[in-house]
Amino acid sequence: MIPPPWRVLPHGPRFLFVDRLLELEPGTRAVGRKLVTANEALLTGHFPGNPIFPGVLLLEALAQVGGIAWLGSAPAGTGAVLAGVSGARFRRPVLPGDAVDLEARVIRVLGTTARVQGTARVEGEEAASAELTLARGRA
Amino acid sequence: MELTRRVQEMIVQQLRLTLDAAEIGEDVPLFGAGGLGFDSVDALELVLGMEQHFGVDIPDEEVGRRVLQTVRTMADFVRERQAGAA
Repeated sequence: MIPPPWRVLPHGPRFLFVDRLLELEPGTRAVGRKLVTANEALLTGHFPGNPIFPGVLLLEALAQVGGIAWLGSAPAGTGAVLAGVSGARFRRPVLPGDAVDLEARVIRVLGTTARVQGTARVEGEEAASAELTLARGRA
Repeated sequence: MELTRRVQEMIVQQLRLTLDAAEIGEDVPLFGAGGLGFDSVDALELVLGMEQHFGVDIPDEEVGRRVLQTVRTMADFVRERQAGAA
C-alpha cells in the first residue's frame, strides 16, 4: 500500500506540497498529486486578485516527491534536503482548481546525494520541469 | 584535445566554476581543506560529468573516493576504462 505523503515526509502543516502519492517505486520513481485551491493563503499574496501557484513552490513540491522517490520512507532526521536546482523551466501557470501531477525519477545516487528529474503536469500538459539535487540528512 | 585538459574543462563546466580550466593543477586535491574544497554535491556533479563527457561509470562512493581525488586520478581512470573497453 502507498502511504500518505505526511507519513513519509518530514514537512509539517503549511509546507507539505503533496496531497497524495499515486505511484511509488522506492529508489527509482514516485508520482504525487497536489491540489491547488482558491482557499490557499499564499495565493492571496501571489498575486492579489490574480492567484497563481508560485513556480518556486512547484520546485519544492517536486523536491518533496523526489525525496520520496529516492528514500521511500526515511526515519526522522534522515530525510532529503534540496541541495541544487538546474535547468528549471516553467511552461504554464498553475491556477486554483488545477490538479498538479508531480513525477520524480531518480537519475543517479552517490552516497548521501541524489540527482532527480522532476516534471509537474496539469491534465498531462507540462507546467514545470527541473533537475534537482538532494542531499540526505537533517530533514 | 589532451585528456587532462578535457577533464579540467569538464570540471569547470560541470561545477560552473569561474576559474580557467588550466588553473586546476593536475595534482591539486579536489576535496577538503588544502584543496579546492569541493563537497558531496560537487562529487555527484563530477560523477554525472564523467558519464556524460567520457562515458565512464563511477558506480559507488568507494570508487568515487578513489577516482575523484585529482585531475590526474580522474584522467587515469578514463584512460584505464577506455583502454579496457577497446
